[in-house]
Amino acid sequence: MIKLTNVTKSYTLDDDVVFTALDDVSLTIQKGEFSSIIGPSGSGKSTLMHIIGLLDKPTSGSVFINEKDVSKLHDNDLSSLRNRFVGFVFQQFNLINKLTVLENILIPTIYTRTELSYNPIEKARYLLKRFGLDSKEKSYPNRISGGQQQRVAIARALIMNPNLILADEPTGNLDSKSGAEILKLLKELHENEKITVVIVTHDTGVAAKTERQIVIKDGKVQ
Amino acid sequence: MKNIQFVLQSAFEDFGRNKGRTFLTSLGIVIGVLSVVILIAFGLGLRKYIDDQFQSLGSNIIRIVPGQVLRGGSFSSTGGMSTIRFDNRDVLRLERVKSLTTVVPIVTRSISVSAGRDPEIATLYASTSDIFAALNLNTIHGEVFTKKDLDKRSKVAVIGPKIAAKLFDTEEQALGKTIKIDTQNFKVMGVLESKGGGGFGGPDLDSFIYMPHTSAQVFNPDKKFYAIIAQSSSEVSIETAKEDIKEALLKRYKEDDFSVIDQAELLGAIQSIFSMINLVLVAIAAVSLVVGGIGIMNIMYVTVTERIKEIGIRRALGARTSDILLQFLVESVVLSALGGLMGLALAYLIVFFIQKFFPAYIDLNSVVLALGVSSVIGVVFGVFPAKKAADLSPIDAIRNE
Repeated sequence: MIKLTNVTKSYTLDDDVVFTALDDVSLTIQKGEFSSIIGPSGSGKSTLMHIIGLLDKPTSGSVFINEKDVSKLHDNDLSSLRNRFVGFVFQQFNLINKLTVLENILIPTIYTRTELSYNPIEKARYLLKRFGLDSKEKSYPNRISGGQQQRVAIARALIMNPNLILADEPTGNLDSKSGAEILKLLKELHENEKITVVIVTHDTGVAAKTERQIVIKDGKVQ
Repeated sequence: MKNIQFVLQSAFEDFGRNKGRTFLTSLGIVIGVLSVVILIAFGLGLRKYIDDQFQSLGSNIIRIVPGQVLRGGSFSSTGGMSTIRFDNRDVLRLERVKSLTTVVPIVTRSISVSAGRDPEIATLYASTSDIFAALNLNTIHGEVFTKKDLDKRSKVAVIGPKIAAKLFDTEEQALGKTIKIDTQNFKVMGVLESKGGGGFGGPDLDSFIYMPHTSAQVFNPDKKFYAIIAQSSSEVSIETAKEDIKEALLKRYKEDDFSVIDQAELLGAIQSIFSMINLVLVAIAAVSLVVGGIGIMNIMYVTVTERIKEIGIRRALGARTSDILLQFLVESVVLSALGGLMGLALAYLIVFFIQKFFPAYIDLNSVVLALGVSSVIGVVFGVFPAKKAADLSPIDAIRNE
């Protein structure tokens, strides 16, 4: 489903030194996979996540999504693709605090350019119920626990029925109990709904829970 | 459309949370719109006021004055330079013009008047008894002078209510009293109804003192007239009457020696001066709108910086650069338009009170102008901060803490 061929990403730093974050990475993630990208900080895993998540473009090489090369797409098309194809889950939850839980979940639906086949509010309420958050619909994110916030973020990631859930250190800001619950939830999504889930982490314990570990070090996939 | 609705809603919710900041940010626009709208309201009021003044002066009135007073619709800078003065021969000549019903000569000057107290400055208006009918002047106390007073050179005066009240305690008390005009004693035989006026550089009609021009010869020894007022017959057009007057006077004077002006021309010339003054004032007030716009731009830049993370999140979730641009642009337009609305509301309130003593009013154009201009300011001064927000890289934005 996602294929990276010879992807290199480099940045020019202030003193004209070229820093290579990703060095000739080729990688395929199959549809329905439950995998993790694991590496220490500075290994290039965040850059890899940004490229898989279509937030960034490679300096060279190509990114294919369902056989289509997306590395040369215009920013607007990338935005649309992110909107429909990817659901992000972040370490910091990244909910907007001035919006209610329900409004946060609905954000992706206001930016879609295609007609949705379902009622977004009904779907958001269904997800909230499923994640045990039905009483928190009108709460604000900073009024609920970290574990609850991360479940809201997962509900937001699911609202557009994405093919891929991309979770960046999803348990990094949670206690071990909440962290385990979140991982269980992601695993269920993979098992029950055949959604492709990629977890980016530095935690080998987290990575061990996934079916495939993609190890990255110094910008290279091992 | 969904996006616009959402963006508007979230903008209003944001302002609701930050009422103090929203108000202070819009304050520049509030003051700008307020001053522009009030000044326009004053300009409109002034125009109406001058119009009403001229209406009250009687219709079909034509003024014949020495020199070239009006040129190209406005007052000539060389006006009144002519040395000619009208005399009785001119009056008699004009009385023979068939298209005119009334011809009255005018002698006018500033003069000091007293009645036992400190002297007041008034305007002397010496003429014939027909002046009252021509200028729609009616007495509230006593009578106007007659042709007989003119022939007898009676030392009588008909005075405006304002000067009457100044010289005596009430207007009524002035009747029958003797007043000292310059060095001469005159008997007050009538007090006129108020005509309004005064202020704004216009003539203070209520402080005029009317007397037979024959009695005023002591103040005007050469027996010349400063102006002649004529009233055209209702059967002919005012243009015809003016042509007839010119034809009659050209037998004696050159074309440049005198001007024949009707009310409309005079009104137009006065209006054009006030319009110009008003325009300058409005332009100065408009500067504060620009200052207000800069205030909005400043706060929008702060807002963008504060919300970099939010922008990153929205971008990650599929917002296009145009969506972000729109969001911030809508916020600055709403902010500015809210300021415009508040300014307009305040202007309405102030004009409502001003109306108790001056006919200022806010017309539809001012409303459209105020809201239109404030919205445009929102766009102009919001576009740079919004562009900054939209151009942020999603990755950098989302990493921002």
